Amino acid sequence: MSETLLKINNVTKVFGTHVVLKDIDLDIVKGEVVCIIGPSGSGKSTLLRCINFIAPPDQGEIIFEGKTWKRFHSRFNIFANRKYEGELPRLRSEIGMVFQHFNVFPHMTAVENVMLGLTKVRKEGRAKAREIAEQSLIQVGLGDKLNQYPEKLSGGQKQRVAIARALALNPKVMLFDEVTSSLDPELVSGILDEIRRLAKDGMTMVIVTHEMNFAFQVANRIVFMDEGRIVTMGTPDEIRNTTDPRARAFLSSILG
Amino acid sequence: MSNSQPFFDFAPIWQSRVLLIEGFGIAMFSAVAGIILAIILGLIIALMRLSRFKILRGFAFIYTQLFRGVPLYVLILWIYFGLVYAVGIDIPRIPSGIIALALLNSGYLSETFRSGILAVSNGQREAGQALGLKGWQVARYIILPQAGRIVIPPTGNQFIDAIKDSAILSIIGVPELMKVAQEQANLFYRPFEFYTVAGLLYLVAVLIVSRGITALENRFAKYSRKSGSSENSVVTTATTDASH
Repeated sequence: MSETLLKINNVTKVFGTHVVLKDIDLDIVKGEVVCIIGPSGSGKSTLLRCINFIAPPDQGEIIFEGKTWKRFHSRFNIFANRKYEGELPRLRSEIGMVFQHFNVFPHMTAVENVMLGLTKVRKEGRAKAREIAEQSLIQVGLGDKLNQYPEKLSGGQKQRVAIARALALNPKVMLFDEVTSSLDPELVSGILDEIRRLAKDGMTMVIVTHEMNFAFQVANRIVFMDEGRIVTMGTPDEIRNTTDPRARAFLSSILG
Repeated sequence: MSNSQPFFDFAPIWQSRVLLIEGFGIAMFSAVAGIILAIILGLIIALMRLSRFKILRGFAFIYTQLFRGVPLYVLILWIYFGLVYAVGIDIPRIPSGIIALALLNSGYLSETFRSGILAVSNGQREAGQALGLKGWQVARYIILPQAGRIVIPPTGNQFIDAIKDSAILSIIGVPELMKVAQEQANLFYRPFEFYTVAGLLYLVAVLIVSRGITALENRFAKYSRKSGSSENSVVTTATTDASH
């Protein structure tokens, strides 16, 4: 067994009175591609957001490269709160994330979108940052769109900008949150191909997706979630032949 | 009006032209200084209103309610006469007027800015955080530039209001356009001429400012116009999808 890169320990997340995630444990090994599947509202996206503390877990911890990250909040010590929040960017800068709705910055050109993290987080000079950003955009096939504003780009192209923006920072793990769900059908396969390319390059990835064929093809491991819990997980073959009734019901409803 | 005099006698206006232009200059200076201060104060108050600290939120709320809720007339009298009377702080006429304009307009602008900031989709903040940007960097490089574009038209409106509101500074004797017009009108017994010319001068100033605002909007339009609405539709779905 190779080394564990990311450990999700006993994570619970609550929105109001609604328990979205309940005692989630998941270890992710370096170079592994984990696909998380399950019905809407099962907590897949929230789990992904807990990993980089965009939605900090209410209980439990994330261990990333041996360092433990826990939510911290003091009602009285605002300096301690500030210190905690000041640390989070360090974790996040090692984790790339791509969103369902792209979230590209509309006031910046494609290349500026990618440069922002390089200049402000990685502290690269502008010339170096531009070079890396251009390289990154060329990689995802946008070499001819460097200076376009997102408004002029298709959904698929915006998502490529978002992928390039995350990859440019050279993250140790990539999180994909239903990245093809708001794309026109003809644009989906292009984005999935980008992810396959990353898998081939050995990138560690956690992918929340509704594209079952893709998940079974690209994943080393598939995690099936329902109602805030991990119901079952295993290799694509194991999940395909699972005996778990909920997983079977879900898969047959999707795969027919 | 006697029949021997022309309906609109331009001669007294021409005679008072230097005073009128000076008054116009003071009016514009007060309005511009007032709105610049109001933008700075309004932004600070808006950020306080969105702060996670209850004390700052509370202060900002009271500030906004107070300065939006009190007539400019009263505000000016408070600052020019009231402060001397109450605590012995004596502020000269023009600064008093500028402070009053700044406070009033910052009350309105803080709400404008707050809504502008809230109009930027939550996904934008999340994307910035996910890159590893610090909180202030997300605000500085992602949220505020987008909010800034949104608030240009309403801020321009506020500027136009401030130009016209500057006429009220005449009550504490600031020699701005309205005050000059009043005095000259009494001197020459030609109120119609002087007030009409004063009105036209305000109108000209407002038209020039409007042109400026449009130019500013167009400068930012290179990435907006259409995308504004489509990005907004993304906002609602992004927030409702957060629990998936």
